Amino acid sequence: MNLITALARLLIFPGLLFAVPAAWFFLWVERKTVALMQGRVGPPFMQPFFDFVKLTAKSTPPRSGIAGALMRSWPLIALASAAGAVGLLPVLPSSGGFEGDLILLLALLEMPSMCIIAAGFSSRSIFGEIGSAREAALSVSYNIVFLLAIVSIAASQHTFRLEALAALPASPLRLLGIVAIIVCLPAKLHINPFSLPNAEQEIYAGPMTEYAGPELAMWELSHGLEWVAATGLVATLLAPHFGAWWLAALVFVALSFAIVLLLSAVAAATARLAIDTSVRFYWQCTLIFAVLAISSALFMRYRL
Amino acid sequence: MKILSMLWKNLIRGPRTLLFPARPPVTERFRGLVQFDPSLCTGCAVCRFRCTSRAIEFKAGKGEFTWSYNPGQCTFCGRCVEGCAEHALKDGHLEHALSQAEDTPPIYLVQGELKKSYTVARRPPAARPAATAGTQPAATSKPSPTTSGGAQ
Repeated sequence: MNLITALARLLIFPGLLFAVPAAWFFLWVERKTVALMQGRVGPPFMQPFFDFVKLTAKSTPPRSGIAGALMRSWPLIALASAAGAVGLLPVLPSSGGFEGDLILLLALLEMPSMCIIAAGFSSRSIFGEIGSAREAALSVSYNIVFLLAIVSIAASQHTFRLEALAALPASPLRLLGIVAIIVCLPAKLHINPFSLPNAEQEIYAGPMTEYAGPELAMWELSHGLEWVAATGLVATLLAPHFGAWWLAALVFVALSFAIVLLLSAVAAATARLAIDTSVRFYWQCTLIFAVLAISSALFMRYRL
Repeated sequence: MKILSMLWKNLIRGPRTLLFPARPPVTERFRGLVQFDPSLCTGCAVCRFRCTSRAIEFKAGKGEFTWSYNPGQCTFCGRCVEGCAEHALKDGHLEHALSQAEDTPPIYLVQGELKKSYTVARRPPAARPAATAGTQPAATSKPSPTTSGGAQ
């Protein structure tokens, strides 16, 4: 991947120019779908964009010292990581990439979650600390399944290069891994039934409680970009390989949209689980699933 | 799985809420601001007695009385209208900000801005015989169905 391709991917497609409107669109789709399924009207189409503009125009309470600087920097780090993760997705055919970019993508996808944990603790709010502790416990649980699923896919295809993974035909084992990733997505995106880190009506907004103005706007945007990155990762793994770039882009957007709809339906159909139930779910049920996937992947690799 | 059918039904049925500026049409029994007709009022002050939120004030003077109503204090319970024997008070069905009569809800900045006072001259006591005369035909008309029933 040369510099120009890297910049084009980061800034244009699937990077910021595509990902920022897509983030607002996905946030709207999620809110609207949940609302319609609950018999409500839901927000207007432009609402996430209006929220962003409104928040950026507001002033934040002055915070001095290292805690203030940290609180200002967490959303920016989260935003940059999420944008980088979107930019790494191999949406277009022959778009470049490098060996091991899957590992970088996983690290970048994990950064917003770590920033949220750090932000909650640096805000020194009791609600923020509770939210951060929950996020940390949840992150430890779902990440094992998430990483095992991705590693199982990579191990079965003998590569850690995203483009090579996306280009290879889908196998039943890969579908098993994709299902395991989809199971982890509600926890990664903080939606029901795993919305306990930012459990509204319970601990206000969790780690976001002390945030306001442009900083909160950055959090919202990074959350939207997380949606694009996480659903995009599944979409690239699911999508068949196309020669035409426009067809590849169209299929990518359509698959991402379908996954957003699926996750929204899950969010509307379920209630928030307690932290012990959530952790037990990932450790007991899904871990078996992921271990099965990786062991069969390794078995296949040694047999071949 | 029952939840899925519930979600599907909600999706098909459509939303039951409205976007913010839109307001639901008022129902038939919606009670708006209390409407006062000074020409019918006898100044009995039963409405003041029945008003639990003290939105209605009544001051008796010499040959006249002052009736005032402060919608800012009113809870729209309708007890004053219910108790008004002369029907001088009526529910203002559409006389309310929520009734969609106006595009935007009004903003009141001063306390008691909506308060209205009426000074009404007391009517001569000649109304009393008229009231008894009014009950007379009712009393006479009452037996008529029974008589007709007996005839049948």
